[in-house]
Amino acid sequence: MDIQLSTATATHQTSTVKRAELPPRVHGRLCLRFEARGDRNQTILAEGEQRLPLRIVRAFQLDDGGALVHLHNLSGGVLGGDQLDVTVEAGPQAVAQVTSTGATRIYRSRENSEPAEQRTRINIEEDGLVEYLPDQLIPFAGSSYRQETKVELGANAGLFWWETVAPGREAHNETFAYDLLQLKTWIGALGQPIAIEHMRIEPARRSVFSLARLGAYTFFSTFYICRVGLETARWSELERLLGELVERLSRLSEIVWGVSPLRAHGLVVRALSVNSREITTGLPEFWRVAKLFLYDRPAVLPRKVY
Amino acid sequence: MDDTAQMALLRLLQLSDTALPIGALNHSFGVESLTLEEALDAVGLEAFLPEYLAEIGSFDVHFCGAAYRLGIAGRLPVEQWLDLNVRYGAFKLARESRTASATLGRRFLRLVEGLIESPNLAAAIVAAQRTDTDIHHCAAFGLAGAALGIDEESTLLAYIHQSLANLISSCQRLLPLGQTQATRMLWKLKPLLADLVRRAQENDFEVDDATCFAPLVEVGSMRHPALPTRLFIS
Repeated sequence: MDIQLSTATATHQTSTVKRAELPPRVHGRLCLRFEARGDRNQTILAEGEQRLPLRIVRAFQLDDGGALVHLHNLSGGVLGGDQLDVTVEAGPQAVAQVTSTGATRIYRSRENSEPAEQRTRINIEEDGLVEYLPDQLIPFAGSSYRQETKVELGANAGLFWWETVAPGREAHNETFAYDLLQLKTWIGALGQPIAIEHMRIEPARRSVFSLARLGAYTFFSTFYICRVGLETARWSELERLLGELVERLSRLSEIVWGVSPLRAHGLVVRALSVNSREITTGLPEFWRVAKLFLYDRPAVLPRKVY
Repeated sequence: MDDTAQMALLRLLQLSDTALPIGALNHSFGVESLTLEEALDAVGLEAFLPEYLAEIGSFDVHFCGAAYRLGIAGRLPVEQWLDLNVRYGAFKLARESRTASATLGRRFLRLVEGLIESPNLAAAIVAAQRTDTDIHHCAAFGLAGAALGIDEESTLLAYIHQSLANLISSCQRLLPLGQTQATRMLWKLKPLLADLVRRAQENDFEVDDATCFAPLVEVGSMRHPALPTRLFIS
């Protein structure tokens, strides 16, 4: 089943449903475009295209004029062989907050099936801001998953994006029982790359417990904080502020935080932890300090059940 | 071995010597933090090094090889040279490791360019200065190997070997690791170095396919400036 949904505004949505033959692999698609409208620069969801299992229900207005959407995966998780494409565009001065409704579960792959894939493209135009704040990624035993995320930032554009990866379903004693987790990230500003990551984790082939990888930690998290064009001295000041948090929140052998400037236009915060709880409570602290510093606005966690 | 091959070998030996005056022995690339905060000790080092090489060493070899291929293409494709270095810098998320790599790369290329006449090395330096682009050590080594007429495999083996030798030397100053033990480690890991180079060659030095998962080393590098006492710059 294919669902195409176009949205003129956040609250007025129409959808057309057409039946088609089931494809051999599920190809979910979500394209969202946010635009700032009116004298008060209220951001609205100007365009949206959806194909199952990916969906959004509506966009919520935020107090600061931004728009918040929750990404739903109606399958309940990513199934083996799924191909999912998410595109988020923020027009000039648009402010968008994008989150998930819960953890992204990567289900066990069927034998001989292709790895599940999710490709995310985020394009932030001049003076725009995207806060991409998904819940953690949980790769189940026997799962195989590739993720590719590409972010393009225009002049004075901003990004707050965190990602946390769990070792698996701990309650089921499924830690690092997945087959493959490949995460590729590319963040560029004004056409130049400022942060790239190509991780490939195959726990059965290479021990994740080596001190060259995770050591005694099981969860890892990355938080990118970017604003194009900010002077180096301002980044140094923010690095100092976040460095204080790094020291306060780190407890060796339990959770360790680090912060570093990117090669330009941003900072990255990394955390390794033996549990998810302290990463989940720590990331918003970095976000609050950084958002207040960069935008003089409070960071408010997306509305949902935590 | 003819005269040309002899000269190439001798030059390669000198450029891959840990005593080359570019400052390589001042950097631990985050490993100092691991010895202080994550219980990396002399006993655990033997297990740590192969995994470090499989991630960070393998990744760097791809960039070294890609730079070598640019260097043998005739006139240096300057934009691709700059792009390769920019990309490497974007991969290095931790500032200390990134800066260390850039410092060594700049010094290395200038040193070699002062020893031989090479339009490609001169163009690489000028382009980097003009665009304020960092030159990274792995890329500089690959380009210099091509400029010196050293074969590809030898260049890559020499690069990864000197990286490991420098790292083990750093560990000797950080840990109770004796000369004999250190020598044995370096000796024992040579087959792995050859394997990493062979795999990167088979992968055609495609840097888009190169992977690296070393978050604890990265965090160690990020935390390094805050260590109470430090033997190394990075």
